Amino acid sequence: MTGLPLAFVPAGRKVTVSEVRAGPGMFRRLSSMGLHPSSLVEVVCADRGSLIVAVAGCRYALSRGMAMKVMVQEEGA
Amino acid sequence: MSKKITIALAGNPNVGKSTLFTAITGKRQHTGNWPGVTVEKKSGSVRHHDTDIEVVDLPGTYSLTAYSQDEVIARDFIIDGKPDVVVQVVDATSLERNLYLTTQLSELGVPLVIALNMADMAEQRGDVIDLQKMSKYLEIPVVRTVGSKGEGIGGLLDAVVRESGTSPHHEHSIGYGDRVEPVIADLIEALRQDPALTSRYPPRWLAVRLLEGDEDAEKKIKVSRARDAIYSILSGIDAGEYEALMADRRYEVIAAVLPQVCTTCVGEMTASDLIDRVVTSRYLGIPIFLVLMWGAFELTFTVASPFMAMIEAVQEYLAGVAAGIQPGWLATLIGDGLIGGVGSVLIFLPNIFILLFLLAILEDSGYLARAAFVMDRLMYSIGLPGRSFIPMIVGFGCNVPAIMATRTIEDTSDRLITILINPFISCGARLPVFVLFAGLFFPENPGTVIFGLYVLGIVVAIASAKLFRATILPGKPAPFLMEMPPYRLPTAMTSVRHMWDRGSMYIRKAGGIILIGALVIWALAASPAGVEYGSAASYAGMIGQAVQPLFAPLGFNWEMTVSLIFGFVAKEIVIASLGTLYGVGEDAGALEGALLADPALGSITALAFMVFVLLYLPCIATMAVIRKETGSWKWTAFSIVFGTAVAYLAAFIIARGGALLFGGVIP
Repeated sequence: MTGLPLAFVPAGRKVTVSEVRAGPGMFRRLSSMGLHPSSLVEVVCADRGSLIVAVAGCRYALSRGMAMKVMVQEEGA
Repeated sequence: MSKKITIALAGNPNVGKSTLFTAITGKRQHTGNWPGVTVEKKSGSVRHHDTDIEVVDLPGTYSLTAYSQDEVIARDFIIDGKPDVVVQVVDATSLERNLYLTTQLSELGVPLVIALNMADMAEQRGDVIDLQKMSKYLEIPVVRTVGSKGEGIGGLLDAVVRESGTSPHHEHSIGYGDRVEPVIADLIEALRQDPALTSRYPPRWLAVRLLEGDEDAEKKIKVSRARDAIYSILSGIDAGEYEALMADRRYEVIAAVLPQVCTTCVGEMTASDLIDRVVTSRYLGIPIFLVLMWGAFELTFTVASPFMAMIEAVQEYLAGVAAGIQPGWLATLIGDGLIGGVGSVLIFLPNIFILLFLLAILEDSGYLARAAFVMDRLMYSIGLPGRSFIPMIVGFGCNVPAIMATRTIEDTSDRLITILINPFISCGARLPVFVLFAGLFFPENPGTVIFGLYVLGIVVAIASAKLFRATILPGKPAPFLMEMPPYRLPTAMTSVRHMWDRGSMYIRKAGGIILIGALVIWALAASPAGVEYGSAASYAGMIGQAVQPLFAPLGFNWEMTVSLIFGFVAKEIVIASLGTLYGVGEDAGALEGALLADPALGSITALAFMVFVLLYLPCIATMAVIRKETGSWKWTAFSIVFGTAVAYLAAFIIARGGALLFGGVIP
């Protein structure tokens, strides 16, 4: 179960993280912010490359490059 | 008998630690609505019943693995500072993410108390959090607090004092499951070979850190006698896989606890998100930002003018009184030195305060973080992360806190570039020069000219960043990842307080360093004895004339030259010394007249002068903070030389270009 990169998810959609393909440092950082496998993510804004996502009640801005490394699955898929 | 304990306020960024610190100690601490306001630990004290409590406010951190300078400060204090109790300040509106740090803190073996802060906001949203259950499941006392209203402080301190007595403390570590636990046990076994190390740090915590590939823990092991045994264990496993397993496990624990203690702790689409859709949208984002900034500068100009007229009237009255003082030298000391010098600066305080007030609103509302997001792509294209944009905006108020704010930038060369370009961002001290000259020489649209100067500062900063990336500090900026705090409606009180915190510095400066500067310039302008005040034959005149040839290509006369030389102390002194040298104290408002009447000054020279003041060497305080934050004299000297060279070049282009275009002759 790999799914698609978070960067391709349109605004307003809720998805589940299936895999974080980042180096150890970035993986830890994302984990400590709540972005880890099986967490629920909602894309809030996605029309300028970088995106704002809602994770565990918080909003994060992350670059498109990083969003490409977070693989997600659409809910119910 | 009274007891003395030290507690640390730790927690994620932007959860209200500094607000809680203020509520506990009564010591005012700068706060704002963006992650990374506190970059240094601050301490204060409070007496609770018979216990003296030293409270240390730490910069925010998401985990105990530190990435940036401010997180290192927090982590080091929690681990090596050995506080008696760690209070984790938790944002009640985002429990899941906050509890991740809890799982790490609880492994440390330090008594822990959770302050469930911003509880009122969670309740307003309809969340019901069961404190007792939360305490029970986490095995940590949980106290409800609302830092902004001072609620729950007594209860929190009660819990802190109680916990401080519970040592030795057990570690309420979570279990990491069948695959990870045996490795942790092996590591602990190996660590026991080095009793000196395990007496300082809890062995289980060190083992967990090592498994997660924490660099700091590895450094500790490198010099330990347990090194070989540990290396042989670690080399036998796939560290990345273990790390993922452990992070999963932490969230599993949180996910198990959370539904038990909290109902409806799930985020829905909020008003914040709706605002974000608009202010960060592809087409509107940058225009909205520009309109906000332009509006801020227009307001600074228009709202300030009645206040300026009032200050001017007071000065005019005082100048009239001063003129009658005997003996004559005292009259010129007070008239030219004090009123002409310091008074010329004081008149611009309304501008500075209004600008600071508007910046405080931007900070407190949470918009600043959005501005960083909107600018990310532009910043990335010049080789900086979007995060670097926040220090640039803070620099509009003052470059000193702006350069300190760069501590949240993780990458060293990203951070160094952000520091080096910050002096180009026009601070409040430069505003008086612009207001005076733009008002005089561009009377139709001074606001637009000033806005243009600010934009020029940003453009030069950006161009310099690009130049540094291409030459001395190559590399790619760290990818953008930043928390967007929820919008909060700033109250007039808090914004006024922020304005005052930063603005009072300008008043103190006017009564201190600027007063001294004005008096020194007055003394130089009035001596040697018998010389006509402020004439070319005075010492000030001699110094100015000696250096002036250097500035002749820019069209600056010797009075302007002297003011620039002294302006490196503080940039307001440029105005103070012009006021002193033109000897305008007797008649407030006369500096304008004297400047306009000076044949050496036309609008082109005025523009060149403003641009020079904008870009040339940073003031003493900024130099000192650059030295401190870069830890290098070399970079400090570089900043000074580079800034002045750029200023000279820019002013030269304007002066010569203007002369060519308009046929004006520059004497």
